[in-house]
Amino acid sequence: MRILIVEDEPDLLRSLAQALREEGYAVDTANNGEDGLFNAEGCDYDAIVLDVMLPKMDGWEILKRLRKTKKTPVLMLTARDQSRDRVRGLDTGADDYVVKPFDLSELFARLRALIRRSANKTTNVIEIGNVKIDTAARHVLLKEKPVELTAREYSLVEFLALHRGEVVTRTQLYEHLFDENESSLSNLLDVHVSNIRKKLGAEFIATRRGHGYCIE
Amino acid sequence: MIPKSIKWRLQIWYGLILVVVLTGFGFTAYQLERGRLLGRIDDELHRRVGILANVFHPPPPRGPDENGQPFGRPSPGQFPDDGPPGQDPRPPFEFHLPPDAAGLFGTNDPNDFYFILEGRNGNELARSDNVPQSEVDFQHRFNARKQISNLDNLPAPRASLNFQDNRGIFERLPSGETIYVGCSVLPESRELKMTKLKLAGFGGIILLFGFAGGWWFVSRALRPIENISAAAVKISAGDLSQRINVAEAESELGKLASVLNSTFARLDAAFAQQKQFASDAAHELRTPISVMLTQAQTALNRERTAPEYRETLEACQRAAQRMRKLISALLELARLDAGQEQMKRLRFDFSRTVADGVELVKPLAEERGVKIFTELSPLEITGDAERLAQVATNLLTNAIQYNKPEGEVRVTLASQGDLAVLTVSDTGPGIPAEDLPRVFERFYRGDKSRTGGNAGLGLAISKALVEAHGGAIEVSSKENAGTTFTVRLPC
Repeated sequence: MRILIVEDEPDLLRSLAQALREEGYAVDTANNGEDGLFNAEGCDYDAIVLDVMLPKMDGWEILKRLRKTKKTPVLMLTARDQSRDRVRGLDTGADDYVVKPFDLSELFARLRALIRRSANKTTNVIEIGNVKIDTAARHVLLKEKPVELTAREYSLVEFLALHRGEVVTRTQLYEHLFDENESSLSNLLDVHVSNIRKKLGAEFIATRRGHGYCIE
Repeated sequence: MIPKSIKWRLQIWYGLILVVVLTGFGFTAYQLERGRLLGRIDDELHRRVGILANVFHPPPPRGPDENGQPFGRPSPGQFPDDGPPGQDPRPPFEFHLPPDAAGLFGTNDPNDFYFILEGRNGNELARSDNVPQSEVDFQHRFNARKQISNLDNLPAPRASLNFQDNRGIFERLPSGETIYVGCSVLPESRELKMTKLKLAGFGGIILLFGFAGGWWFVSRALRPIENISAAAVKISAGDLSQRINVAEAESELGKLASVLNSTFARLDAAFAQQKQFASDAAHELRTPISVMLTQAQTALNRERTAPEYRETLEACQRAAQRMRKLISALLELARLDAGQEQMKRLRFDFSRTVADGVELVKPLAEERGVKIFTELSPLEITGDAERLAQVATNLLTNAIQYNKPEGEVRVTLASQGDLAVLTVSDTGPGIPAEDLPRVFERFYRGDKSRTGGNAGLGLAISKALVEAHGGAIEVSSKENAGTTFTVRLPC
């Protein structure tokens, strides 16, 4: 899952990015409105965390422009908590609204819900054969037994599971699992896939040669 | 027990006045009417008495009672034969009205005029046929005779006689006989009773209309008060947007309502400003708190290395410092607002204060490559040097921070009449014209972001400080050419 954070307070931006990376997300950051919009339009993020008060271009403007081209789920982050601000945010096209100061756990839960909703899933648990993926707890059960996955492996499983039945290209996977700071070694993905197959069964992820991967 | 309500008190007061006026009027009208009716009767009675006196020829005198003893109990010795009239041995005296006078008296109608003729000693000589039969009649006649005897010295003494529903006149003729003419006033008293009822009825109706009209008028006059109190109740309940509906702006209450409305409007504005200020202050505190929370929660998610903890603590410290700065600025503003901040009143050289300020900000200017040019003439003013230094430093810091790289800052101090004028100009991007009036507002920030950790209170504080010294601060700006702040202080 790849997330963009647009926030101008450097300490907040840094710790948010760190916390989200530790949750297994690929995180891109922008510290002003113009960069934020540029990033948001240039890449298919799974979600965007958008501050309202930004230099150069405020959050409303970014949202308005972004909505012309993309349906990326957007979570607005703001210090304004009056209901007319929330209404404005939601009406402008924000998918959710979190008021500062917030709890990290709440922010994470809302992000998960956003991503789940955008993949048309209504529950936290995805069942594929004898594999159960709990997207809230971020763990995977095989025949009701927990399976140890690294954060990156889990993200890969979750992404494929959310796009079950579709062929997901390697480019897509790179875009959603790795952020712009990571050099994407072409075989890194294969390593992750082979590790997952070892843990969850070889037939869990199918390879469509020349296209990408797929969970049936 | 006087009711508390103004409406009722007014109502009672003019109700009372109305009752007094109507009663007086009614009484007078009644008396006039009564006088008119009775006067008419009296005129008729007098006329008839006069006619009777003219046509009456007394019977020839009879012996010793020639002495003119008018009436009363005759002493037996003096008038031996003066017994009851019926025992008069002489043939009874016959009196007939002449035909022309007969029409003046009724025959059988007891309501018509009637007459009685009495002899010198009270014996009845004649009477018309319609004299009412009444015991009281005699008593009254006796009283009237007695009354008339006191008037004996007059040539034709007359007395009036009123009893029950009768009114009459007594006249003693020079020959000693008495003529009594009377009539029933029953129709007149009925008429008077009717008049009384009519007057009472009219009075009642007028009173009723008066009350109803008064009620309407008082209600109308007091309605603005009700509007005012209704609006005031809503306002006291917290709805400051309420206004009194002013229908009659010209009346005293209308003026009061307008005054109250403008008071409410100012209160509303003051509250709104206060609310905005509180909300802005809360807003400014939210970001550093978010930083601290996020930093702490991220750090606590798992074991960290010492440098990582250090970094977290440093970020928390920065956020806390920012809050500290904000809170002390807010407190300072609150104290300045409340007028609690005492300004020292000492003579000092303002140019040195400004020069010190320039020294203070030099490192910041060098960091940004901004050059500061000063043109300060020594100038003594009275005031709080420390606070005015704060103003100068704040203006200088702004001029450096919002300057273009390698820009310039010009500081001048000169006297202008009895004013000290300090100007600080920069070569920055300038402030858009529409934002100029707002730069001294609390939490105003040119770039809408929080770069530099400025909350946007510096200029608001500077303004409050300058004004506490009796001075003024103003700003002018040209886009892409720079901004100039001018402070004028009394020397």
